[in-house]
Amino acid sequence: MLLEFSQPLEYTGLANWFDTTLGSWSLPVKLILVAVALLAAYAIIAMILIYVERKITAFFQARIGPNRVGKYGILQSVADVIKILLKEIIHINNVDKFLFFAAPFFMVVASMLTFGAIPFGKALQAVDFNIGVLYVTAVSSLGIIGVLLAGWSSNNKYSMIGAMRSGAQFVSYELSAGFALMTIVVLTGTMSFSEMIAKQEFCWNIFNGHISSIIAFVIYLISGHAETNRGPFDLPEAESELTAGYHTEYSGLQFGFFYLAEYLNMFIIASIATTVFLGGWMPIQIHGFDGFNQVMWYIPSYAWFFGKTGVLIFLSLWVRWSFPRLRIDQLLNLEWKYLLPINLVNILVMVILVIAGLTLTDLFPILAS
Amino acid sequence: MNSILKYFNGLFTGIKSLLIGMSVTWKELWTKKVTQQYPENRATLVISDRFRCELTIPHDENNEHACTACGICQMNCPNGTINVLSAMIETEDGKKKKILDTYTWDLGMCTFCNLCVITCPSDAIKFNNQYENAVFTRSKMIQKLNHKGSKLREKKKEQPLKFPEGGLKDQVL
Amino acid sequence: MGDLGGLNIMAEQIIFYILAVLIAIFSVLAVTSKHIIRSATYLLFVLLGTAGLYILLGYYYLFAVQIAVYAGGVMVLFIFAILLTNRPGEKVKSERKDRRIAAGITSLAGIAFCGHIIYWNINKVYSLVVPDEQKVQEIGLNLMGTEKYQYLLPFEFISVLLLACIVGAIMIARRR
Repeated sequence: MLLEFSQPLEYTGLANWFDTTLGSWSLPVKLILVAVALLAAYAIIAMILIYVERKITAFFQARIGPNRVGKYGILQSVADVIKILLKEIIHINNVDKFLFFAAPFFMVVASMLTFGAIPFGKALQAVDFNIGVLYVTAVSSLGIIGVLLAGWSSNNKYSMIGAMRSGAQFVSYELSAGFALMTIVVLTGTMSFSEMIAKQEFCWNIFNGHISSIIAFVIYLISGHAETNRGPFDLPEAESELTAGYHTEYSGLQFGFFYLAEYLNMFIIASIATTVFLGGWMPIQIHGFDGFNQVMWYIPSYAWFFGKTGVLIFLSLWVRWSFPRLRIDQLLNLEWKYLLPINLVNILVMVILVIAGLTLTDLFPILAS
Repeated sequence: MNSILKYFNGLFTGIKSLLIGMSVTWKELWTKKVTQQYPENRATLVISDRFRCELTIPHDENNEHACTACGICQMNCPNGTINVLSAMIETEDGKKKKILDTYTWDLGMCTFCNLCVITCPSDAIKFNNQYENAVFTRSKMIQKLNHKGSKLREKKKEQPLKFPEGGLKDQVL
Repeated sequence: MGDLGGLNIMAEQIIFYILAVLIAIFSVLAVTSKHIIRSATYLLFVLLGTAGLYILLGYYYLFAVQIAVYAGGVMVLFIFAILLTNRPGEKVKSERKDRRIAAGITSLAGIAFCGHIIYWNINKVYSLVVPDEQKVQEIGLNLMGTEKYQYLLPFEFISVLLLACIVGAIMIARRR
């Protein structure tokens, strides 16, 4: 079963080369290579995201953004990484040392585990579970424990309040994020990301289930956005009330972990939305236009994936810089009075659509792949 | 029934207002960026005329200024920024006359309130917009404003000695 | 390919032993720790280790449910509840001696009971537990089916139980 983890290397033909030259040791070597590639991608994507976020934020605020380190400030996040690596990790008195140091790892490990299941391109997926969607929702819920432990072990009331808010927020919004994904599971009848993408060749899920899918998509974006503690939902770290929320007491690399996990969570939410709703790495295909389809396939699948994900990340930044921060009661009202009831009705509507054969692929069978 | 109507009404007006907000920020995304990249754009940087940077006593080509050393600016300065030192000289016709000796102004103490300029009866001082005022020691902030060897501009003999028509009032408004 | 298979099995065994040792250590720590929040964290590690065992067996669905329900759900609620209690940082006092002896006897009895069952049934495990990937669809159909060895009735009973719990909680919370 461990062999499944090496799929990305088979894509490039490297796997065969390893098998022939290394013999029995090719499996561990492949596993390590995949792990290293994933970790590197994790760090590099975070750095690119930080740069892009700062630039786009600046443009929304009629500024230029980072422009001193390298051309257009392109090396800014590299410089930031070096700075954060060199910073001192401050030891705080009267904290529970073990939990204090363990907390950032929960965040990072949770987002890394999720990161592994994302299909970046054709056969570029480290782990393809047949329960991909469930796996992602399950594993990403581990991160909140890191937040709670960080808030408690900091021995600081601001951190504590921030962690409690974050916990309440995360537990609530995870519910509607899960329901939104389940709506699409009802539509596609599978939980595996690869099968889901294969079924979306001619008709993305967001069009396939029309009304229901679009509502689910919007709800998933909202609740995913809230889960990452960003944008209008960043009240766990509302600086005017709580200084920096649960990571107030952290410095240096430990703070860097929280920072990294926050940005990667944004990416993960966007990429799951891409995979589940927008066809993942699948190029735009129109049934019958074979020449057009062929041309679309010349664009590599990972470019499609990162393009679609990038659009969603831009959307998230757009939302972030448009709306004022919610109060905690407004936040919980939004979830429990609006998103969750709408979601429950929506999933019923989707069941009816599927059973009555009213999805686009049912109505126009040529769209089915 | 009414509450259900209210619920959906609130939902849709909420969505509408959010979309309006997003359209506003979308427009803002494409506006011209206002950031001034200061050291590079020194040559082209435009500072508004009204911006108050440095107090000056304008001197004309004959090295003459209009300051009569009356000390009104010094009295009006809230922070004690201005220090007018006067000297007594004897003119040719034997009259004693007070003239300006040194006019010092402390940039570090000034709040740029403009009261000195407003109250000056002879329009001898004004703020210019030379904005690069950073120096390395505090003592350099105390500036002597009258040039070396400058003297009071002679008034035209025909004019009687009085305030100009509504002069002070004009300045205040 | 046989060489590779041998390596695979060896790797699985090594991972199993690592997980087993971790589960054992953290179980003991969870019980003996004096800080309640640390106990909760150790318990979380135990649950994660169990999830690791499931993934080693190829039971991905069980793995995801274990993580989502226990690690992501129950543990978050535990930690939340601990944070809301009065002084979570304080050390728990040791129990009285007679109570400790009683607890020791009880746990020994529990170990003996479980050990007995495991000892006599260990051979059946090989025939019953097949390391094979379970299809989610199958699990779903079994849960929702009404035939023999299918679980619609227990499933619905559990949902009624949960509903009763929620209603009860609301009643308690609403009473002034």
